[in-house]
Amino acid sequence: MDIALRNTVKKQLLWVALVSISMFFASMLSAFIVEKADVVNWKVFILPDQFEISTVIILVSSFLLFFIKPLLKRGKSIFGLVFIVLILGILFSYFQIKGWQQLTNEGVYLTGIGSNVAGSFLYILTLTHLLHLVGGLVGLCISTIKSKQNLYSINNYLGLELTSIYWHFLTILWIILFTFLKFY
Amino acid sequence: MTNILIVVVVILLVATLVQILRVSELLSEIKNKDVNEVTDKDNNTQGILFLIVGFGFLIFVVWQMVTWNHLLLPPASSVHGTQIDFLMKISMGLILVVFFVLSPILFYFLYKYRGKKSNKAYFFSHNNKLEVLWTVIPTIILTALIIFGLKTWDKAMNVELTESTTIIEVYGQQFNWTARYSGLDNNLGKANFKLVKGRNTLGVDMLDANAADDKMAREVHLVIDQPVLLKFRSQDVIHSAFLPHFRVQMNCVPGMTTQFGFTPTKTTAQMKESEGEDFEYILLCNKICGASHYNMQLKFIVETQEEYDLWLASQENLETKLLTQK
Amino acid sequence: MSEHHKENFITKYVFTQDHKMIAKQFLITGMFMAVVGMLMSAIFRVQLANPGESSILYNLLPGAWLNDSGGLNPDKYLALVTMHGTILVFWVLTAGLSGTFANFLIPLQIGARDMASGFLNMLSYWFFFIATVVLLSSLFVETGPASGGWTIYPPLSALPQAIPGSGTGMTLWLISITLFVVGSLLGGLNYIVTILNLRTIGMTMQRLPLTVWALLITAILGVLSFPVLLSCGLLLIFDRSFGTSFYLSDIIIGGEALHNEGGSPILFEHLFWFLGHPEVYIILLPALGIVSEVIAVNSRKPIFGYKAMVGALLLIAFLSFIVWGHHMFMTGMNPFLGSVFTFTTLLIAIPSAVKVFNYLATLWRGNIRFTPAMLFAIGTVSAFITGGLTGIILGDSALDINVHDTYFVVGHFHIVMGLSAIYGMFAGVYHWFPKMYGRMMNKNLGYLHFWGTFICAYGVFFPMHFLGLAGLPRRYYSNSAFPMFDGLSDINELITFFALAGAIFQVFFLFNFFYSIFKGTKATQNPWKSNTLEWTTPVERIHGNWPGELPVVTRWAYDYSKPGADEDFILQTEPLKEGEIEH
Ligand code: HEM
Ligand SMILES: [Cu+2]
Ligand SMILES: [Cu+2]
Repeated sequence: MDIALRNTVKKQLLWVALVSISMFFASMLSAFIVEKADVVNWKVFILPDQFEISTVIILVSSFLLFFIKPLLKRGKSIFGLVFIVLILGILFSYFQIKGWQQLTNEGVYLTGIGSNVAGSFLYILTLTHLLHLVGGLVGLCISTIKSKQNLYSINNYLGLELTSIYWHFLTILWIILFTFLKFY
Repeated sequence: MTNILIVVVVILLVATLVQILRVSELLSEIKNKDVNEVTDKDNNTQGILFLIVGFGFLIFVVWQMVTWNHLLLPPASSVHGTQIDFLMKISMGLILVVFFVLSPILFYFLYKYRGKKSNKAYFFSHNNKLEVLWTVIPTIILTALIIFGLKTWDKAMNVELTESTTIIEVYGQQFNWTARYSGLDNNLGKANFKLVKGRNTLGVDMLDANAADDKMAREVHLVIDQPVLLKFRSQDVIHSAFLPHFRVQMNCVPGMTTQFGFTPTKTTAQMKESEGEDFEYILLCNKICGASHYNMQLKFIVETQEEYDLWLASQENLETKLLTQK
Repeated sequence: MSEHHKENFITKYVFTQDHKMIAKQFLITGMFMAVVGMLMSAIFRVQLANPGESSILYNLLPGAWLNDSGGLNPDKYLALVTMHGTILVFWVLTAGLSGTFANFLIPLQIGARDMASGFLNMLSYWFFFIATVVLLSSLFVETGPASGGWTIYPPLSALPQAIPGSGTGMTLWLISITLFVVGSLLGGLNYIVTILNLRTIGMTMQRLPLTVWALLITAILGVLSFPVLLSCGLLLIFDRSFGTSFYLSDIIIGGEALHNEGGSPILFEHLFWFLGHPEVYIILLPALGIVSEVIAVNSRKPIFGYKAMVGALLLIAFLSFIVWGHHMFMTGMNPFLGSVFTFTTLLIAIPSAVKVFNYLATLWRGNIRFTPAMLFAIGTVSAFITGGLTGIILGDSALDINVHDTYFVVGHFHIVMGLSAIYGMFAGVYHWFPKMYGRMMNKNLGYLHFWGTFICAYGVFFPMHFLGLAGLPRRYYSNSAFPMFDGLSDINELITFFALAGAIFQVFFLFNFFYSIFKGTKATQNPWKSNTLEWTTPVERIHGNWPGELPVVTRWAYDYSKPGADEDFILQTEPLKEGEIEH
């Protein structure tokens, strides 16, 4: 296989995987919607502020990734950029966890007595999103190290591209989840 | 001991097979032809076999229909069940016709077109007219079937509550059923699983005014030609209340109430006359629910109004049962 | 990719990235599981014919839980039924069938050196392998393996108090299925991307053999539906192990009221069947693909209506996502919703019918050569006719009221899915065995295997319809609790007789398979005189499939008995003659 083909193939593998992951979240989300319509004692929860902060953070991080290509084109180092994105990713995770803490303080629990399906869904949706995000963080770590070593060039940055696609996907996914949890 | 025997027999069997195969392969090497080549003779035998076994299968099917016909459920004992039976007859007839047309065609083709080295197949890769034809015909037939089916379904499922409808609760748990009659007010008292305690096995809320005249029973009595509405609840896992003779089935799901309404049309006594002395209407569990799933039954008895009134009067209501007695 | 690296034992047979070897790994694992699953069914069939009688077979089955009190009690019966269903549906007919033939055929038939990613492919098998180990290990758990039916409806599957198998056994089941799904997804990604990108020059989508089409559509179904099983299972895992209430509400079990409120078991059923129905087509479609190929080759005729066949596959696949509710007519769903599902369900019969007619048209005026593979392919068509028709009864919600969850359903899906797919799998094995192992399977043993299987299988599953119409529910440990079923014991004995006889015929297959790997007669390069690309590769297995350049394709796969040609087949690589039109 020549390199161009190999790149297409790798990218497509990722795209199909993203479709698959989307189905996972789509089914969870529809479960959430159906249960909300059905359950009598559905406890309405208020999303903690932390989730709003993390929304902004992940949006910024995703936005920054768009500068990779121009930078590479001009032959500049991208280490700083990727590193910032990585930090933002970690910050996002931090605020997610903070958000959960806030929730438990308010008496919204994942499990056990006093828990409610509404709350459980909130946790499970954010938790599975965060789990997927960990994968993205690993990708970013590797990209950071590689960019530090100047291994990327405009003709050769597939790994970084794949990570970016995945990261954008996580951002969009989060926005969708956030919108549903907040406004639905 | 038996295990050793089995092992020995298996080993011997395998050894014999190996030998047979070796011999046949050696022989074919001597005769200088490939054992695994499919010859005209093979095609001939296999084609004929398809004809024989294929039609044998069809005969087997007919044999089953004749010999086992008496084992099938008797005609429905409910109003909507009769409609279901009619739809079933039509659908069954239809699929049997298709089955008895397509299968013989298949087996006949196999026989008729069994190959010969000297023959050549007819190159026939598509034919739009044919393909449209056999897309359209099933579509038309299925449309008719769908419409007919949906009508029957609507009639069966959308029950109207009338004055005379008796409401009865059927409560499933591992591994038995309990019935609760709604009493004079024809209104079931509220129930909540948290209230299940001691003799109040259904968790009936005795503070609810409707509950006092409810009656619990271990068998269900119905009046012929009077509509009933069964309300189902479950205590633990999913059960399914299945009344094959009435063509009634509904899952009993913990956390929700489901229902099925129907009108019985034959008394148990009438059924005993036509089906034999042992006949009973029975409710079975039809959703896997644990060890004794296979033995979860509730007897149903359809009788005349007088018999029913007599029976019902003999049952104590919940007020006496739960509140007054200790 | 890695065309030129040295192979040692480990990289060749264990951690191999060669698609052909991975295919064989799937096949052998699948066959092993098939034997285990079949043994289980033999045991519970004996129980149904002779209630209470423990059999010799019973002692053959591994597992501590089986040997404690002796005899097959209801819990163990349900455990066996559950494991049988799980193994056959997922291990044999999903991984064993798709895993084998997708891996083996896709690169060979599209003219690629290997899968898009050999590494992912290898991972896919090893996830499957670990899933297998975990599943089998649940046989050795003290409380027994999962016992809530292969559909694992909660609350039964969520509460160890409800049935012992819902303890550790169920946990292992869920872990195993999760691994299984991950493995299937990795495989599926690979199949899709490979087919879309790595077709050789000239291999347009319109020239793909129907096997590849079927495998592509199957992979798409898998990628879209398996994640739903994952989320369905995840919520169940949380309910079981961490005390959430997604599926649980208002439950008293063992005299104790649980805290769970607000959940709905029906939600589980929706999620499960959203996977579950596409899953049955994930099982069936590869078999239909194989059958299309085998029937065309052995009728020496082009498959009739190639485009309609592809169209029907696509339509079936699409519809399979909007019919899941037909498994839930009796859950108290809104009757209107039931109507919608009846409508969509019965629509599936149309593309199914088209497929059957096209198979018949392919046989018509053929020059049929009865290889063992061909016999099994015909078996699939016959089973698909017989079983598909009863689907029309079940799909009609009004009729389903009285046959839902009875033996009628058991008869239906064993014939339409079980038999069709397993025949398809046998057809594939007999047909491509020469390509896999460079040797031929014995023809006469193949004949014997087919006829024994064909007769016994109908003997087992056809009478089940009558049991169902007599009102007999499925998953009953014994039918003796209800006098109304007393008359059915003859039927049950007949079924068991055929089941045991049928099992014996499988021994001939196993024997033939393993014997032929080592001792079979040597195969020639194109033993069936087929058109497709896999038969242009050398008999000996090589990494990269073709020694020199990749083949160039110039025509579709079905030029059999084309007028004007010298032979009754034309390889796909044969250039079109002057003035020749492509079919
Ligand atoms: C003509 C097309 C078909 C129709 C209309 C149809 C309809 C149905 C319906 C309505 C049920 C639910 C029955 C019940 O539980 O009461 C069912 C069950 C089932 N069908 Fe089909 N079916 C068709 C073809 C197939 C095919 C092609 C397969 C597999 C390849 C299949 C596999 C199954 C399985 C596995 C079940 C049982 C699942 C379980 O409850 O364990 N069906 N079918
Ligand atoms: Cu049950
Ligand atoms: Cu289905």
